This record gives sequence, C-alpha cells and structure tokens, in this order.
Amino acid sequence: MRTWIKIIIALALIGFIAAILLYIFLYNKPHPDFEKAEAAYTLAATDLYKNFTANKTEAGGKYNGKVIEVNGKIAKVEAKDSLTICVFVFEQGMFGDQGVRCTMLPSYKERAVKIQPGSEVRVKGYCTGFNDTDVILEKCSIIK
Amino acid sequence: MKTLIISILLITAVSFSADAQKFITKTGHIKFYSDSPMEKIEAHNHQVNAALDAATGDFVFKVLMKSFEFEKALMQEHFNENYVESDKFPNALFTGKVVNIKDVNLGKDGTYEAQVEGKLTIHGVTQNVKTKGSFEAKDGKVAGKAKFIILLSDYNVKIPGTVTNNISKTIEITVDVNLEKLN
Repeated sequence: MRTWIKIIIALALIGFIAAILLYIFLYNKPHPDFEKAEAAYTLAATDLYKNFTANKTEAGGKYNGKVIEVNGKIAKVEAKDSLTICVFVFEQGMFGDQGVRCTMLPSYKERAVKIQPGSEVRVKGYCTGFNDTDVILEKCSIIK
Repeated sequence: MKTLIISILLITAVSFSADAQKFITKTGHIKFYSDSPMEKIEAHNHQVNAALDAATGDFVFKVLMKSFEFEKALMQEHFNENYVESDKFPNALFTGKVVNIKDVNLGKDGTYEAQVEGKLTIHGVTQNVKTKGSFEAKDGKVAGKAKFIILLSDYNVKIPGTVTNNISKTIEITVDVNLEKLN
C-alpha cells in the first residue's frame, strides 16, 4: 500500500477512536460539584422568597438551575425521609410554612442538625425552583 | 340554654375530628422509570410537595422538574434541556381527588385502597389521569403509594431519532409519599 494511503487510514482510525473515547467520557461525565461551585447570586433568603412570590416566571428565569447562596435566620432543621433540610420560614399558607428549603449534601448533614433555630447561616445550593409554597435549593453546603 | 351550649360544643368537637385533617409532606418521592431494549433509565425526585384533605379527598402534588436526579449527569442534562424543557416548564402539577375518600378512614390505623382521579400537567400539557393507590394509616401518619403509566407523546415530550431506542415511549411513575398531619 502507498504510504499516503496508510497515513490516511491511520488518521481516520485515530479520529474514530478519539470520537468513541469522547463519547464515553461525556456519557460518564460527573455531576457538578455543588460544594465547590461559585454562586451565581448571593442574597438574603427572604429576598429570594419575595422575588419568587412576586413574579414566579421572572425569578425562575433568573434563579432556576443556578447555584445560589442565601443568608438568614434558620427556622428549623428537618430530618425526614432520609433528608436533612435547613428551613427558612417567611409566611404561613393554607398548608403551613412557606419559605426557602435547603436540602443538605450528605457531608453537611451532621453540621446542619446542630444548627440552633433562630441562628444566622449562609447556605449555598442549586435552585430547582418554586413550587408555589417553597423555593427549593438542593445539594446544599454551609458557608462559614 | 344548656342544651344549646352542649350542642355547639359537640358540633365543634366533631368538626375537629381526624376526618377534617389535612395531611402533607414536603419530602415526597416520585420515581420514573423507562425500560427499553437499549437502556433502563430511572430518575428520582425527593422534594415532592403533596397535600391531602382527608375530608374532601382533594389531593395535590407539586413537583419541580429540575429536582429529578439521574445517575448519569449527561442524561439529566438531556432530560432538562431537550425532553421536558425544564427552563420553559419548571413545574409539574397533579390536582385531583381520592374519589372514594368516604371509604378511607385515615383516623383509624389500617390499609385502604384509594381511587385517585385528576389532572396531571407536565411540559405544559394537561391530561386526565386515573389510578389506584393505597394509603396505610399508622399512628397518625399516612403512607401513600401509587404506580401508573404515562405516554411521553401525551405530554408533547419528543425524543430525538438518535436515542429513540434508548427511551421507552411509556414511562412508569411510582409515587411514595409519607404524609403527616398538618397541625
């Protein structure tokens, strides 16, 4: 076989293998590290709640799918259904408390349950939206 | 006069019985499962907000689409960006009724079959759904479970040709909510 044909075949093979490796790499890409991620927005938990209750669509466009850092006084820490949730309560509705709920990363559960109700905290997490009762943040970590 | 006062007290007592209770959870679990020859895909949502009115049977589920977690990050991305378009339609909602609520006495420990009917809205499309479920009442708490199937096409969820064989056209939804009395 001519040398240049061999080169072309070799390049094609390399390209093909690279494409497969890239696909496997992408397919198995890890979930984002929300503990290390930088917050797109930092604001008081009460302001985040107010923004969503004032205009759900606009707030959603701004905050949904983003990493948010909130600060404020924790009303309570819930341990339910294997989850640990730091809860900010701002209103009472037809079905009880309304506010911001922060579901903690497993590595922060122990620290979270020690938080005294009423104490100021800074929590960072991934905002999945507002379900007309609470703003939900997930994969949360506590910022010292 | 005494009879009137006693009657008023009795009526007040009866209206605050367990039957007038609302049961809620904010950590309800919904799983959906797609079984196709190429791949089995499942996703879990642990942030489901569900509320049941034990008197009227009204039953509401509020679900955030971005709260569905997949094992594969790429799949979660495709789910949000391409299939359910969660930026456009961040919320899913079920508003319905336990139509046989009169046969369900959540004040008394036991397992009760539930017939649930209502409207399910996913990806901006609303469909009527009907399913059987169960309520297990124990010590004032109620565990609600149900399983039903939906068709992706019913909710305008389009699967691109390249992955048609990786995703089933019918999705099995499993609901698992631990409801507690709202004081």
